[in-house]
Amino acid sequence: MNNIDINNISYEYHRGRQIFNNFSLQLKNGETTFLTGCNGCGKTTLTKLIMGIIKPTSGEIKIFGKRADSLSLGSMGEIIGYVFQYPERQLFSSSVMDELTFPLIFKGYNKIETFEKAKDLLKIFDLEKVKNSYPSLLSYGEKRRLAIASVLMVVPKYLILDEPTASLDNHRIDALSDVLIELKNRKIGMLIISHNKTFIEKHKDRVIKLEGGQIYE
Amino acid sequence: MNDIDPRTKLIQVLILSTLALIYNKLSLLSLILLAAIVIALLNRINLLSILIRLKRLVKMIILIALIQSLLTKTGNPIFRIGNFTLLTDYGLIKSLEFILRLGIIIVSAAIITTSSSREIIQGLIQWHCPYEIAFMVSVAIRFLPIFKEEMTDMITAIQLRGIDLHKVKFNKKIQVYKYILTPITINSVIKAKELAAAMEMRGFRAYPQRTSYMVLKMQAFDYIIIGLSIAAAFLFFTFQ
Ligand SMILES: Nc1ncnc2c1ncn2[C@@H]1O[C@H](COP(=O)(O)OP(=O)(O)O)[C@@H](O)[C@H]1O
Ligand SMILES: [Mg+2]
Repeated sequence: MNNIDINNISYEYHRGRQIFNNFSLQLKNGETTFLTGCNGCGKTTLTKLIMGIIKPTSGEIKIFGKRADSLSLGSMGEIIGYVFQYPERQLFSSSVMDELTFPLIFKGYNKIETFEKAKDLLKIFDLEKVKNSYPSLLSYGEKRRLAIASVLMVVPKYLILDEPTASLDNHRIDALSDVLIELKNRKIGMLIISHNKTFIEKHKDRVIKLEGGQIYE
Repeated sequence: MNDIDPRTKLIQVLILSTLALIYNKLSLLSLILLAAIVIALLNRINLLSILIRLKRLVKMIILIALIQSLLTKTGNPIFRIGNFTLLTDYGLIKSLEFILRLGIIIVSAAIITTSSSREIIQGLIQWHCPYEIAFMVSVAIRFLPIFKEEMTDMITAIQLRGIDLHKVKFNKKIQVYKYILTPITINSVIKAKELAAAMEMRGFRAYPQRTSYMVLKMQAFDYIIIGLSIAAAFLFFTFQ
């Protein structure tokens, strides 16, 4: 079965040029797909279309068999974890710890379990030292690690990472690699936008290139 | 007509909004709105597309007007259910007034924004408005779209955390908005600090006198339009 089924979609930004015209792409269960392509060719736009943040002008997108436009952003976020290219726009809290825990506590999950889970993730992403800091004031690499960790608080069925290795040093990229391997073992499919050759080589099941609104394998 | 001096537009808009504030008779406000619309059309502004883009704001204005008119209890009832007065003439007039005034403001804003912010600032400076104040206006104009984008991004992002804004109860919704507004406030303070540092490095206010690369020049046409606008306002003032 396909996790994500994109059928003949078209999209253009308001007063912008057409980015996709009759575009189709299938992403499989448990598979790690890398998306490459030049700057501005529409990689981020494609991920936003999948997440339902923007809607295609025609065609349809199915997420685990459900039409994307029938899902609210809230339920979409529970199915697919999405880490923005610019993670500062997905950090809200006044402390790193609260950043990880607030959505779950808000929804009434068990507090003790939530905090345990957050502590594990802080350790994995090497954020223990800054757990009381203000997320907005973290370094770029720290913000990105925090954004990834906060998306993993709810275990999603699929994961989309928009340039996750940008602004991370090699040591942190290795830590991220370990997490990805673990997620892959749990059969979680991933779509990762990246330009980092060694990182791609390490995790790829499939590499696709976006160019002129078309996919090249 | 796009090479009209930004100052001409500023004067027109100033006149329109002053009149809109002075008067509250519906007929007069309608006339002012009509004048604003005519000026906007002469400037080749597509008002319909602006209205569509401001859909949400327009909905909100109408909603507020509706609530206001339903809550007003003074005046003569024109619609009642049993003993309960739903709508009074006074409430209806007040809310129509509100809609007309905001309409005038929206159309005026559309007229001004046909000039780039750079032109408007230069207009203010050549009017001997202190550069600092003109600069603050330009910062406000420049950051408005960025704030708007940031706000929509954050509202999207918090929902993607699994929080369904449409299903959240009202008292919890306030909590969600607190989570959205805090980072926007913090980020703007950070942005302001960076901007200030960049400006200091380029010698902002190093010299008391500034020269401008761009110099605006009023054409005869501008003086005629300003004269006509003032005359129209004066006529309006005396014959209303
Ligand atoms: N909000 C927007 N409005 C208009 N055009 C946009 C917007 N966002 C992106 N674009 C344009 O769409 C194209 C693709 O952008 P993007 O998907 O971010 O590219 P990539 O992530 O591959 O670098 C670019 O030309 C960009 O300028
Ligand atoms: Mg991108």
